[in-house]
Amino acid sequence: MLRGMSVTGVVLCGLVFALPAPAQPQTDMARGKQLYMNDGCYACHGTRGAGGGIAGPRLAPNPPPLEAVKAQLRHPASRMPPYSAQVLSDGQIADIYAYLKSIPAGKSASQIPLLQQ
Amino acid sequence: MTYDKRKPREAITKFGRRGFLKGSVAGAVALATPVAASSAPAKQPGKAPLKPSRLDEGLGPHPDDNSYLSSAGSDYMIDVLRKTGIDRVAFVPGDTFKGLHESLINYGMLTEPKMAYSAVNHEEISVAFCHGYAKVEGKPAACFVHATVGLQHASMALYNAWADRVPVFCIVGARIYSAERRMYVDWAHSVFDGPSLVRDFTKWDNTPLTLEDFGNAAVRAYKFAMTPPYGPVVLQTDMTLQENPLPNDTPPRIPFLPDSTPPAGDDAAVDEVARMLVAADNPVIAADRAARTPKGLALLVELAEALQCAVVDSQARFNFPWRHPLNQSMRQRPTVAQADLVLGLEMTDLHGIIGRLPKSVKRLSITSEDLYMKSNYGDYQHFADVNMAIEADAEATLPALIEAVRRRTPRTRQSAFKARGRKLAEAHQKTLEASREAAAVGWDEQPISVPRLCQELYAQIKHEDWALVNGTVFQSWWPQQLWHADKHYQYIGDAGAYGLGYLPGAALGAATAHAKHGRLAVAIGGDGDFMFSPGVMWAAAHNHIPILYIIHNNKAYFNEIMALQRIANRRNRGITRTGIGNDLTEPGINYSKLAKSMGVAGFGPVTDPNELAPILKQAIAIVKKGEPVLVDVVAQGR
Repeated sequence: MLRGMSVTGVVLCGLVFALPAPAQPQTDMARGKQLYMNDGCYACHGTRGAGGGIAGPRLAPNPPPLEAVKAQLRHPASRMPPYSAQVLSDGQIADIYAYLKSIPAGKSASQIPLLQQ
Repeated sequence: MTYDKRKPREAITKFGRRGFLKGSVAGAVALATPVAASSAPAKQPGKAPLKPSRLDEGLGPHPDDNSYLSSAGSDYMIDVLRKTGIDRVAFVPGDTFKGLHESLINYGMLTEPKMAYSAVNHEEISVAFCHGYAKVEGKPAACFVHATVGLQHASMALYNAWADRVPVFCIVGARIYSAERRMYVDWAHSVFDGPSLVRDFTKWDNTPLTLEDFGNAAVRAYKFAMTPPYGPVVLQTDMTLQENPLPNDTPPRIPFLPDSTPPAGDDAAVDEVARMLVAADNPVIAADRAARTPKGLALLVELAEALQCAVVDSQARFNFPWRHPLNQSMRQRPTVAQADLVLGLEMTDLHGIIGRLPKSVKRLSITSEDLYMKSNYGDYQHFADVNMAIEADAEATLPALIEAVRRRTPRTRQSAFKARGRKLAEAHQKTLEASREAAAVGWDEQPISVPRLCQELYAQIKHEDWALVNGTVFQSWWPQQLWHADKHYQYIGDAGAYGLGYLPGAALGAATAHAKHGRLAVAIGGDGDFMFSPGVMWAAAHNHIPILYIIHNNKAYFNEIMALQRIANRRNRGITRTGIGNDLTEPGINYSKLAKSMGVAGFGPVTDPNELAPILKQAIAIVKKGEPVLVDVVAQGR
């Protein structure tokens, strides 16, 4: 019954994004969304990239550069699950990235009265 | 149910354990005439004993023994319990404590000071109920559990209470004498040393064989449970001892329970800690169970303000106001990284705070943890490498420490302290603003974002005398990040050992304790945790426990999904199948209907965040009338 407390480890999955973004290949945003859900990104980062509080950092809107996302996926700087090309191809990463890029910015905290309590 | 004595095995297996127990208790009640209180033996005019009693042989009444009993050993046990201050008992029935059961309902609940009974429907819930109750009330409730299988059910919850340093008073029935084992199930439900099952994670246990011994053992158990570090205790209580009359119809003396003083730190050591705190440039106080009582909270605020130093609260108790400018809990890492001294107060995992600090950082601790520890289970945590450890209760030590800090603080240090305090207040405010911005992202999302859920709830309760009865780690500490809270009872921490099934029972116990103070009890609990003990909904309805129970419905055992994804990907197998064993789907669970089926008002599933406010309003109106409500909210994972 005692569930393993992996939260602490997952908290550490702060992404390190330093590399420049290359030119964007053609992508399929809808497929990216499907991959984002099926490949478990949503679990730590929320269904729309908002971040999962203690679980994972925010990815959208305005995601970090694609190459940085890819680097983090291939060789996580933390206890985030590593994604090899065997389980997630470069093309699939690009699709996911396209989905993240498509997510529009929401309201800011100052526009939400419930966040001024 | 009637029991066929000629075919005991068949008769029992036909009905199962609970059916059998229910029948046997009912049968016992039907057979017995009312048992008198120890102070007033029953008279049954015209009804002489039908047969010679076996009681003189030291055995309990046989099912065929219809002799009348002039007093009850278990009435004395009830008197002992209430003399210690125990005023509430939770249990699901069990054959080996039917003497106590009968004494409670016909004696303890009807004579002053009246005891209260809380119905539950699982021994794990009994213990969890007492766990939550004790954290609010500051004293233990009792739970009665059946021998063997009952204690086995209770064991995980006892481990939670042990790891959370919470006093729970558990009485486990026993059928110690083989002459009392009349049928198959009696043997299956008999054990000589029952408490050995939980001895690794209970503070003390005992098996008294006389009533006088019971009195001594019970008072001693209570005293141990309530001496820091607190912990659960177990009394194995033989059914014969419960069911037999008092020797000579005279109750033994009940031992005196003294006002105990928790161990406080040595004066010289406390003075040295004060000297180091005053001399430090960036001292940090790390607290976990430092505030055992509201007084502890006030003392910790006083100490931090005297030093104008940072406090990082690990949240096992309400140690520090959430919006206090010196509260740096939401920026623990950078705060501790800048420390030149860390003082741990009743820390569960001090190593987790100080383990990576350079050796130049002074590391001190005040904790009662080291005064009582056991070997087998690892809840003692990684050894914390400290320079100086005061083995004492932190709350009891704080007055002397505050006095020493004040005495040792020269006027020349005051301005430096104030400047430090101002910096910390700025950092606190920046953290709050960052939290608000983070909460804004995904505000209108579906599934509903967790900070949206928390803020919609807070908007409805902030003008009430509210108390949150769940731990918030799986809600990413959003309440601590965004809410105002400054009262000790407003947060009671989590399960201790993270054994699932804690919250449903503990929430009911906590809400029961809050109810008599007129507080609005609120819980946000995971769907996976809830499904370990969904029967609590019946208990909430039956006991009329006013609580708003929100299901954080993320449709999975989310923590395990994350863990499984990592290992699957490290093996290059992908994670598309990691929902297997983790998902709570196909079919999805309708928690609202589940609640309604047991008599609790249910709302949801709520999928639109804009529907939260009106639904929560309706739900709180019901809670204010004294009834439980469940609201199922389909939300993001964390």
